[in-house]
Amino acid sequence: MNYLIGAFKPPCNISITFADGRTRKQASIKKENGKTAMVPLFQSHENIVGEVSIEPTQGKKVEHNGVKIELLGQIELYFDRGNFYDFTSLVRELDVPGDIYETKRYPFEFSSVEMPYESYNGVNVRLRYILKVTISRNYVSNIVEYQDFWVRNYTPLPSINNSIKMEVGIEDCLHIEFEYNKSKYHLKDVIVGKIYFLLVRIKIKNMELEIRRRESTGSGPNTYVETETLAKFELMDGAPVRGESIPIRLFLSPYELTPTYRNINNKFSVKYYLNLVLVDEEDRRYFKQQEITMYRLLETS
Amino acid sequence: MVLVLALGDLHIPHRSSDLPAKFKSMLVPGKIQHIICTGNLCIKEVHDYLKSLCPDMHVTRGEYDEDARYPETKTLTIGQFKLGLCHGHQVIPWGDLDSLAMLQRQLDVDILVTGHTHQFKAYKHEGGVVINPGSATGAYSSITYDVNPSFVLMDIDGLRVVVYVYELIDGEVKVDKIDFKKTATTHAAH
Amino acid sequence: MLSDAEDEEKWLAEGIAGLQHNAFYMHRALDSNNIRDALKYSAQMLSELRTSKLSPHKYYELYMRSFDELRKLEMFFKEETKRGCSVIDLYELVQHAGNILPRLYLLCTVGSVYIKSKEAPAKDVLKDLVEMCRGIQHPVRGLFLRSYLAQISRDKLPDIGSEYEGDADSVVDAVEFVLQNFTEMNKLWVRMQHQGPVREKEKREKERSELRDLVGKNLHVLSQIEGVDLEMYKETVLPRVLEQVVNCKDELAQYYLMDCIIQVFPDEYHLQTLETLLGACPQLQPTVDIKTVLSRLMERLSNYAASSTEVLPEFLQVEAFAKLSNAIGKVIEAQVDMPIVGAISLYVSLLTFTLRVHSDRLDYVDQVLGACIKKLSGKAKLEDNKATKQIVALLSAPLEKYNDIVTALKLSNYPRVMDHLDTGTNKVMAVVIIQSIMKNTTAISTSDKVEALFELIKGLIKDMDGTPADELDDEDFKEEQNSVARLIHMLFNEDPEEMFKIICTVRRHILQGGPTRLPFTVPPLVFTTLKLVRRLQGQDGDVAGEEVPVTPKKIFQLLHQTIEALSSVPSPELALRLYLQCAEAANDCDLEPVAYEFFTQAFILYEEEIADSKAQVTAIHLIIGTLQRMNAFGVENRDTLTHKATGYSAKLLKKPDQCRAVYACSHLFWVDDQDGIKDGERVLLCLKRALRIANAAQQMANVTRGSSGPVTLFVEILNKYLYFFEKGNPQITSKAIKDLVELIMTEMQSDNTTSDPSADAFFASTLRYIQFQKQKGGAMGEKYEPINV
Repeated sequence: MNYLIGAFKPPCNISITFADGRTRKQASIKKENGKTAMVPLFQSHENIVGEVSIEPTQGKKVEHNGVKIELLGQIELYFDRGNFYDFTSLVRELDVPGDIYETKRYPFEFSSVEMPYESYNGVNVRLRYILKVTISRNYVSNIVEYQDFWVRNYTPLPSINNSIKMEVGIEDCLHIEFEYNKSKYHLKDVIVGKIYFLLVRIKIKNMELEIRRRESTGSGPNTYVETETLAKFELMDGAPVRGESIPIRLFLSPYELTPTYRNINNKFSVKYYLNLVLVDEEDRRYFKQQEITMYRLLETS
Repeated sequence: MVLVLALGDLHIPHRSSDLPAKFKSMLVPGKIQHIICTGNLCIKEVHDYLKSLCPDMHVTRGEYDEDARYPETKTLTIGQFKLGLCHGHQVIPWGDLDSLAMLQRQLDVDILVTGHTHQFKAYKHEGGVVINPGSATGAYSSITYDVNPSFVLMDIDGLRVVVYVYELIDGEVKVDKIDFKKTATTHAAH
Repeated sequence: MLSDAEDEEKWLAEGIAGLQHNAFYMHRALDSNNIRDALKYSAQMLSELRTSKLSPHKYYELYMRSFDELRKLEMFFKEETKRGCSVIDLYELVQHAGNILPRLYLLCTVGSVYIKSKEAPAKDVLKDLVEMCRGIQHPVRGLFLRSYLAQISRDKLPDIGSEYEGDADSVVDAVEFVLQNFTEMNKLWVRMQHQGPVREKEKREKERSELRDLVGKNLHVLSQIEGVDLEMYKETVLPRVLEQVVNCKDELAQYYLMDCIIQVFPDEYHLQTLETLLGACPQLQPTVDIKTVLSRLMERLSNYAASSTEVLPEFLQVEAFAKLSNAIGKVIEAQVDMPIVGAISLYVSLLTFTLRVHSDRLDYVDQVLGACIKKLSGKAKLEDNKATKQIVALLSAPLEKYNDIVTALKLSNYPRVMDHLDTGTNKVMAVVIIQSIMKNTTAISTSDKVEALFELIKGLIKDMDGTPADELDDEDFKEEQNSVARLIHMLFNEDPEEMFKIICTVRRHILQGGPTRLPFTVPPLVFTTLKLVRRLQGQDGDVAGEEVPVTPKKIFQLLHQTIEALSSVPSPELALRLYLQCAEAANDCDLEPVAYEFFTQAFILYEEEIADSKAQVTAIHLIIGTLQRMNAFGVENRDTLTHKATGYSAKLLKKPDQCRAVYACSHLFWVDDQDGIKDGERVLLCLKRALRIANAAQQMANVTRGSSGPVTLFVEILNKYLYFFEKGNPQITSKAIKDLVELIMTEMQSDNTTSDPSADAFFASTLRYIQFQKQKGGAMGEKYEPINV
């Protein structure tokens, strides 16, 4: 079979490297196969500078109708597999048509690229950024190489960040007041709060705080909503009496959260909720869900 | 060695409220083998108290004793000695030694213990002994003035008896000791 | 089916197994410095403590095992921080645990290291820990968790002088921390009773009681904090603790915690905060056994007072008595359902306190008694056994303290308290009073005091209303009356006038006693009176009196009337003896008519009242014995009396008794002292008469064989012959003696006579005596010379 392999072997190796590849931060990404991989990390308005190197296979030449590099921002909806929506598409011509006999390097640069959305691997949707090198050829298929990179965008501290305070209850049964210190949390933040029990007539067994992520894709009747519980954090063990106040302190860092994404390119949204759950002795659950906004705070370090 | 407590004429509660505390503290259970009491205790409480000191107790009847079962006279043998016991109001003239000697002959005893006069006495007499332990409470007596509380402890050992007299004088216990020896021939006539 | 206990054992075993399993992996992680695994397995290990299946007792076992493991983990954390791991990071890291109970145990454990590292002020860490622990609302789990917190923090409080002391006043934070933990623990503890089904309430209360020391430990910690001085105790600690105690509205907790407060804090603090502490008492639940609490407090204060005289002014300064007294009043008012016994026992405690601390304040003592009366007033006599016991205790306390009834007699409320006792208990109390007097040999020395005393013990002196005499237990009655009899000897005054007054007072009281009591009470009164007579005996006549002094004559009159009461009871035998005693006393006072009168009374009784033959014999001996000693009588009176006495003797029922009485009468005619009568003829007459009776007895004995040998009578008479022979009675000759000896010998050898060893021995010893006298030599030997036997 060796000759066959040889026959279909691409006539050249294409590699895409970033100019600051060694020093650039990388993001650890969970791939579809479950493995993690490290990919370079960028943010919007960065210059994406690098070099494409084309190395013909030993003793071959590459005939082409031109070489180009594209920077693509794509949204891929899984229920609509195969359809990519490119919200960003930039292209640089690297070479005019001709033959390549030996390794040839093409520096490239996309300056101050607008990348408004963060990379995202969701349940039903993926948002990715790629560099795509195409060697156009006649009669035979083009030679294409991709390089993924990851984008994260940082947000400054919100100027307004009100606490969430709410009184909820079931009449003559349970009245509580809860308070979360903020409505907007960065990804390494700590949720601090309190639950006051104003009226307790049920036998509560315990109380948990859940962090839930709601991913909605599509629109109209074709909207797909996927909810995941990312954290279950026990706040209270046992039955409180009227007048008790139970502290909340939940560190967000252990959980794999993303910022809140609202209606990204009209294709999808990712929202976060805090769900306060009280369980009684008969395992009935009483809960109240509150949306919180997640954001990515620029780490100062 | 046998210890015999001899006492009488307590006259509780007619003439005295109780035994002197100093006597009570001396008289502890378990030390005495026999109690002989000439009578006039007068009540059961006192009887019970004495009995608690020593269960082997011999009592004769005084004229004020409520217990009518006490005999008028009683004899008993302790070791080599024969003892006679009688309250003494039956022996007239009261406290008269010659008359008591007659009782001693009548009971045919080595030691005769009587009371009634409230006056301690111990006589050697015709080879025998006549003892009056006095009144253990120092009770009033028409016969004797200024009665001091007293009792007698007899230490009987073989043919010898040592009589200890305990007398309470002005709040202090005074002890006297009298020694008697029995001649082995006393009963030769039998 | 497994029983509950077996189930529990099984669950415990499973819990322990789970704990050990995870502890094993935790140790492995610790050995390899794998902090993530260490945290993971320790959290899993601690998850065993999440169980709800174990009773507190079994849960404790599981807790203790976890505790030991956590010590190892703490060591590891400490080493980790030395290796450069940030303790702050650790403090966050352990909070990632999803389950709250393991999370908080780990947090406390790291917290301990955190405080030691001093990277943050101890007070901040402690505050955070105690706050976070609120997440455990399950009573048992919460109590143990907080107990763990208390345990690890004990040596890390920012106390004064502690290495963790922070900036100024950090002791306030230490106190605040302990107070908060205490408050929360108490809340959990109280709540425990509502967990689970109602039918298991009792079991639960028992379990709850087992956990009380977990809560109380906090108070102990508070008491150990150096910085808690009186000021802070007064301003912060006590009010806060009491607030919790009052607000928790739980009987068990209130009782336990009040007691705890009293036991753990210093006495002087209690003394200085009495008002606050006592102020809480009326606010407690009505079912709380407040009397025990207060009793303990008063006991502690009493001991404190006893510890040093220097502290006494403190008691006065804070008006301890008034405050306690006031508080007790309020508690009794507040606890309307408190049984009377509770109220009284409170007064007993207060009285005990008063007696120990303010022994000089009789007014306080009287005040307590007065308060007690107030509580009792309007109520019928107490029927409650326990309550009356408490009253007895109340009334006994002053007696024990002062060792002196005289002091108690000054207490105006004392008899009023006694009035509230039922008849039976009243008597018991009266006996206690008497016993106290006996024990302390207190002399009651004035007629006023005697009057007051008899007022106190009146239950013993006379029939109280509504007590039928036949209900009285004979033994108890005797004992009571005998104690009254003993008491009479304790009433004494040196001064004859006052003594006479005392006697009159006693007499007035005891004559109300009725026929059942008089035989007990009259004799001691008579003898006490005779003692007074004897004291006056010497001085009679030569008293240079202004007023009419007490004279023996006057006293004898009183005696006469007193004994008369007895003879009408009737107790004729006793009355006869007492008359004879008086006669002899009158004789000693040279009061012939008085003595004669007493004899006359005795004779009347003998003739009219004494019917029993045995009693007659004794009476006759007493009559003869007394009469023999009389020297005040003139010839005429004497003759009358001796004549009667010999007459009685000859009329006794049994011959031997007759015989003995008659020969005893011989001594009435021969008194062997200087001035004594010496009528030899009448002596001989008596003895001959005795012989005749003996003969008659002999005849009768021959008819009814077997009756006791009258030979003894002859030997007895022989001895009387010898007696008078020796005394020099000329009527008694050696021949008469010889004849008598021969007569006896003949009798003894007679076939008709049953042999009587005792008579033989008596005769033998009599002969031996004669022999002895003969050999004595001298005058006596000579005298006996003619008697050959």
